Amino acid sequence: MNKKIFSYIDSKPSIVHENGILSGKSISIQPNMSVRGWPTEAGSKALERFVALEDATVIENLRTAGATIKGSTHMSELSFGLIGDTGAQAVATGEVDIALMTDSMGEARIAASSKNLFGFKPSFGIISRYGLIGLIPSMECYGIVANTPMDIANVMGAIAGIDDRDYSMPDSILPDFGRFEDCKKWGTCGVIAECADVLEPSQSKAFTAALSRLGETGMAIREVSLKDFDLFRAAHNVIGSVEASSSCGKYDSVRYGHRAQSARNWNEMYLKSRAESFGLLVKTYLFQGAYYQFENYETFENACRIRAQLMEDMEALYETIDVLIVPTQKRNDSQNETNTIDGVYDAFDLTLPANMTGQPAIHVPGSLFGRETDPGLQFVAPRLGDMRLLSIADHLMTVREGDS
Amino acid sequence: MDYEAVIGLEIHAQLNSETKMFCSCPNRPGDEPNRNTCPICLWMPGAIPKFSEHVLEKATLAALALNCEVQKHNAFDQKVYYYPDLPKGFQLSQFHKPLAKNGWVDITTEDGIPKKIGIHQVHMEEDVAKLVHETEGRIPISLVDFNRAGTPLIEIVSEPDIRSPYEAMEYIKALRTQIRYVGSADCSMEQGSMRVDANISIRPKGSDQFNTKVEVKNMNSIHHVGDAIAYEINRQKGRLNAGESIVLHTRLWDPEKRITSAMRGKFEGPCVPDPSVPQILLSNEWLENLMSQLPEMPSQKVERFVREYGLPYDEGVLMSSERDLSEYFEAVVEEGISPRTAVHWMTSQLMPAVRERNQTISNTPVTPRRLSELLAMLDRDEINAKSARDVLLKLFESDERPDVIVKKYGFKQVSDVDELEVLVETILSANPDAVDDFKSGVAKAMGFLIGQAMQASRGKANPKLIRDILTKKLG
Repeated sequence: MNKKIFSYIDSKPSIVHENGILSGKSISIQPNMSVRGWPTEAGSKALERFVALEDATVIENLRTAGATIKGSTHMSELSFGLIGDTGAQAVATGEVDIALMTDSMGEARIAASSKNLFGFKPSFGIISRYGLIGLIPSMECYGIVANTPMDIANVMGAIAGIDDRDYSMPDSILPDFGRFEDCKKWGTCGVIAECADVLEPSQSKAFTAALSRLGETGMAIREVSLKDFDLFRAAHNVIGSVEASSSCGKYDSVRYGHRAQSARNWNEMYLKSRAESFGLLVKTYLFQGAYYQFENYETFENACRIRAQLMEDMEALYETIDVLIVPTQKRNDSQNETNTIDGVYDAFDLTLPANMTGQPAIHVPGSLFGRETDPGLQFVAPRLGDMRLLSIADHLMTVREGDS
Repeated sequence: MDYEAVIGLEIHAQLNSETKMFCSCPNRPGDEPNRNTCPICLWMPGAIPKFSEHVLEKATLAALALNCEVQKHNAFDQKVYYYPDLPKGFQLSQFHKPLAKNGWVDITTEDGIPKKIGIHQVHMEEDVAKLVHETEGRIPISLVDFNRAGTPLIEIVSEPDIRSPYEAMEYIKALRTQIRYVGSADCSMEQGSMRVDANISIRPKGSDQFNTKVEVKNMNSIHHVGDAIAYEINRQKGRLNAGESIVLHTRLWDPEKRITSAMRGKFEGPCVPDPSVPQILLSNEWLENLMSQLPEMPSQKVERFVREYGLPYDEGVLMSSERDLSEYFEAVVEEGISPRTAVHWMTSQLMPAVRERNQTISNTPVTPRRLSELLAMLDRDEINAKSARDVLLKLFESDERPDVIVKKYGFKQVSDVDELEVLVETILSANPDAVDDFKSGVAKAMGFLIGQAMQASRGKANPKLIRDILTKKLG
């Protein structure tokens, strides 16, 4: 197996169940998902030599369903952005069938879009985050990259569910992941006009082509408006960095992780250890979050208000449509320029609204609408409407297979 | 110039819940270091806090005991600061949406005037780890004990309604009584389960402005709070009279030198809503159920004791000052002892003996039933008061019934008139001077003779009969 793709490979993966829903399926995870005894450094020196103490709930559930967890891919530092992440590559190269990723602004969808794969972000709060070493608690969840909607639905069936160890999960009636729904029920798609406006000309053309292809499959498409769509990005940037700053408070080098040598007192030990632990991108993000916490709290409060308003606005759109269509990316290659905060947000500004509102979203690859190099489409549904999206994706795949 | 003090108190009380606030570790900070810890309270990566409903109940009961309006929607914030006793770089506390607001407790001022001290808010907060500073050879080292990390506290913030050290002490006592009544916390300053910080400013009498305040910490008894406030008021008066101004800062009380001194400014971090602990929404049923668990509170109890048992007001206050004391008192009365006799024996004999033995009213072997049996024998004249006091002390040492002890040690009162007449004759012939004194009108000679007779009977004679016989013989 490939060391360029995997940071850790399980030499003897255990298979708990021969006849489970995921038996025969191989899965990669990221090194911020706890597996007892596995190195769990989350791509950061802040967790240097950290080995997980127990299994994440999701890991237990995957194994119970018969999945083979092959190992951990490489990941971006603390799951911020996609620099260095190899999850989608593991699927694209056939190393695994399914890659589990951390999605706090659209990582699974963007990674999938670059490899012509399906990328799925479930509704917030239906998968236990116990054992996930996260960064932005109010927005992040497990994301799934796979070859087929069926694989995604089966993984969701295995890992979704209320967990006593994750007290932050709201009581929800979970979607039935065992059965695709009839897409005629979810036939009306709304395209947010304000999203189409930000696309580069080439993307815009491909987007229009994909929409007309979608129309040919029998889906009704209409335009809707969300005039403050651009505020999603600004609000995510403020709230995300504040939450990240708090989440990283625990990396103090006292109990685990990298500790700087030769500090003269605890304060110096903190400062030096943290200075040496984080990469520049994460450090900038944390610094930005600390700025809003300590120096500009009012902006943080405004961002929270804007987020609440946007959630309401988004909710209102579903009164006339069943699912939303949003392009996945503004540019085809924007994830390659993610070494600044702005660069990261440029790559994710069309995917992060689903993370801010807790809605499920799926990236459907371009090959289903034209060529593999086409950008594909992102569908977004109301919270708990996960199965609407997977059913539409499955429907589109069936139509495409019928064509060829 | 004539000044008056404006004082507000911030009180932290450790809740006595079984577990910590966000995990199931035992709430026993004093155990062997780092024994009561888990991935959650050590804040290991991937752990998720799980807020304890039991803690919520304890905190809400305390808030209700302080007459607060419980907020049906409250939530945790992160108080951000970095220190080795805080394993995650922030403390979970309630700032923007506290558990309860607008409460009060009743006190009586030094002038005997009833006064309400307002409570601004009551909120929940997790405690931090304990730091132990030692040396290893010549190298100073700091050790962290996480047993206390994540244990539950409530912080009670008073309104600036307090005007004197006396009022401050009365406020703390009243608040402590209320909270102990509902069983939420022990509130012992000496044992560190209650910590009091005082915010003190002064202003010209009659003014209603609020001046710059100074915070005083590190008092470990209620008396120290009074002393520290008194010291600080005088210090500020001295400053102002010398034409200097008061600067906002924190001072530490030094119990040895009995002064306050400035401490290095502490960094106050921001408070950000916590995204991991769900907001707390209390239903009406939940709250009503909790209110139905509230016991009869002290003020109601005093009223009932005065009404039902005919106690004078101050005895009523005394008997209801602690819940277990009031329950003991009522148990004794239930056994048929007159309420005033019960109060008298409990306060003058039982309580001092209990304290001397480091017992409490609820764990002393002198149960209400045993005390009642003893007092019943006294009432029936089977023993006299002196014997009763001796038997009471014996009750602490053995588990025998009072009547068994009376019989065994011969405490039974001598009420046989013939026997006593012989005794009195002996005393009269042995003390002719006292007899002469009495006859010439020295009234206290009678007391002396009674004393002699009691002594001769080794305390067992019925003093009332002795007096009757003496009066008859000398009359």
